[in-house]
Amino acid sequence: MAKITLKVPKGAVSMQEGKLVEWFVNDGDPVSLGQAIYAIETEKTTMEIECPFEGTFKRLGEVGETYKVGYPIAEIEQ
Amino acid sequence: MSNQALPNALPQDIALLIYTTMVRIHACDQRIQQLLAAGALQFQYYPCGGQEAIPASIAPHLHKEDQVVTTYRGVHDIVAKGTPMVEIIAEMMGKITGTSKGKGGAMHLSDPDAGLMVTTGIVGAGMPIANGLALAAKLKGTGRVVVVNFGDGASNIGAFNESVNMAALWDLPIVFLCQNNAYAEYTSFEGSTKSANIADRAAGYGMAGETVDGTDPDAMHAAAGRAITRARNGEGPTLLECMALRLQGHSFGSEEGHMDQEKLAAARANPPIAKFRASLIERGNATAEDLDTIDADAKQEVEDAVEKSMAADMPNESELYTDIFADASAVPYSSPTTTAAEPDLSDREVVTVPMVVAITEALDIALGEDPDVFLIGEDIADPAGGVAKATAGLSTKHGVDRVRPSPISEQAIIGAAIGASLNGMKPVAEIMINDFSMVCMDQIANHAAKLRYMSGGRTSVPIVIRTVTAGNVGNFAAQHSQSLEAWFTHIPGIKVVAPSTAADAKGLLLAAIADPDPVLVLEPMRCYFVPDEVPVGRYEIPLGKAAVRREGTDVTLISYGWCSVEANAAADALAEVGVSAEVIDLRSLVPLDLDTCVTSVKKTGRCVIAHAAVEFSGFGAELAAKLSEELYGQLKAPIKRVGARYTPVPFTPSLESMHFPNAARIKDTAESLMK
Ligand SMILES: Cc1ncc(C[n+]2csc(CCOP(=O)(O)OP(=O)(O)O)c2C)c(N)n1
Repeated sequence: MAKITLKVPKGAVSMQEGKLVEWFVNDGDPVSLGQAIYAIETEKTTMEIECPFEGTFKRLGEVGETYKVGYPIAEIEQ
Repeated sequence: MSNQALPNALPQDIALLIYTTMVRIHACDQRIQQLLAAGALQFQYYPCGGQEAIPASIAPHLHKEDQVVTTYRGVHDIVAKGTPMVEIIAEMMGKITGTSKGKGGAMHLSDPDAGLMVTTGIVGAGMPIANGLALAAKLKGTGRVVVVNFGDGASNIGAFNESVNMAALWDLPIVFLCQNNAYAEYTSFEGSTKSANIADRAAGYGMAGETVDGTDPDAMHAAAGRAITRARNGEGPTLLECMALRLQGHSFGSEEGHMDQEKLAAARANPPIAKFRASLIERGNATAEDLDTIDADAKQEVEDAVEKSMAADMPNESELYTDIFADASAVPYSSPTTTAAEPDLSDREVVTVPMVVAITEALDIALGEDPDVFLIGEDIADPAGGVAKATAGLSTKHGVDRVRPSPISEQAIIGAAIGASLNGMKPVAEIMINDFSMVCMDQIANHAAKLRYMSGGRTSVPIVIRTVTAGNVGNFAAQHSQSLEAWFTHIPGIKVVAPSTAADAKGLLLAAIADPDPVLVLEPMRCYFVPDEVPVGRYEIPLGKAAVRREGTDVTLISYGWCSVEANAAADALAEVGVSAEVIDLRSLVPLDLDTCVTSVKKTGRCVIAHAAVEFSGFGAELAAKLSEELYGQLKAPIKRVGARYTPVPFTPSLESMHFPNAARIKDTAESLMK
């Protein structure tokens, strides 16, 4: 079983941090490639993040919190 | 519509091959961006969307042995050249299973097995090196063709001018493939040049040029065929400009506000892959189901590569210092250091000749022994035989193919040497004067020095760069007299030697030519024309071995290059006042013989380091710091440096003599330590 960490992505070259605004999947949900998993708000825009792997989802971040780029925000267990 | 309706219509098998490559590129490019977008990966990525058809249409013309050089925006070129998908993805993830063991990364993939020789992150810098690959192909008669990719922006950089001129002059088997995606970062094509297009410039260089729609595989394949056939037939290079609008910002996540929104929207609505797909169905080359299968296979190939790469390891600590040099013991301060033994020349006949003649002899020996050795540089052929006559007679004896006079193009000279060395040759490049190496610093420091590491040891650059340090020969002034060794010793991956005797100049040069890594040889003009004793025949002075010129007990004088002459004179003068000086001539700065220095300074307790280079931030600062660390508490006086003063080299003799170190200053400094 591989565990893949999803970090706050650098969605724009100048992006430093983002605010987790909504989860689209619950802890323990099966997720599939391309599925929207959460939304993150930056200075410029709100991005919906697509799931990059199939597996079981685990939330690590909290809605409403602001995280730096690179912060581990979720995990996918395969 | 039948195939006949299209003037350049591709045969069905080629068309499907191109389509397959395009979707494989697209699947790879999209998957990487998806992983970046989700935060599963994080690095600078330069997408190739819109440009997929260019390399996909070239690929059917290329043999496996043909070679490609590309840029940071090169994943399409790399997939098309045949590098395994799993190695591409693993390299981008920094994994040991990547093309370059993760040491190169997304901007520096290389896969010589597939003919992918260099991926550079320096705009325009691939062109000089590609010329060298092509030069080797021509000299060795391999029939190989080289394709070098670069952007429209890169067409405005100096390396472009030097490279296309040299390639045209020498009829090199190369295609200069300009991927004109209408932007260079945030600057439009029109904002970068008054040229209406890039291909028209070819005429000015006396070479073929053509502009083609890089989104149209039929046209693209035909144009590439013309260029590659020309190169293969020995008819010289082509500047092929392929028009293909960039379908996204410069790098992943970067803004698009500077792009023409209408054109962008139109191009995105009908991207090259969709257009070609529709065309293939329309001409009856494939059904939608056939193409769906190709699409699905490509996705699966990428998925398998991602899965394998995620599971692979990153390189561990054992990889940190490997692939800098062929042998990690050449890394400064590595332990243990291994150096070949000094040759026993006691039985050799000795002739009295100046250093320049000893250098010529070394070159003559190397040319005579090894057909892969060749010389390249400005004015090096007869009758000139080099501005300082270091290559006199050699072109007459070995021919101008191997003693190759070049245009005044330092970047192209070093690039040609690098590229030829990647193909197994042993080039010796001459940069007339050390000061001029600053105009080709990128080729030396970013490429010659780093390709071994960036490729995870899969490529290497066994070149020699000979250059004269002309200080203290009278009135060469600020731009022809500098000793810039510290610029080079600061860059991991390049060896630096600085002889002071004719015998060492010969033996170090032969060792440098035999060495598997790039070596810069700094030849002191001050010693060039002074008669000196030189053993006849071949011998090598090992790199990384200092010479103790005289033994002493009170103070150690460490020097190299022409300043060693001053150090020897200072030791004579010190003897007269009762001070016994030990004199060390380093001969080689990288690798560095620290042991000899430590042993000596431990014995004497005092040390003066003298060099012709400016003292501030000079090599002596490094050595002094290291010796102080090694010998803390054992020194009788602080370690002193005597270098050139912090001024540009003055022209007038009254000031020049104050600028450079000399025996008197070295002696005074050493004497001051005795108090
Ligand atoms: C010598 C150098 N200068 C600047 C840069 C920064 N830079 C990276 S890509 C780029 C634009 C190059 O544009 P172009 O040659 O058209 O290629 P494209 O990125 O469009 O493929 C610049 C300026 C660099 N990498 N190297």
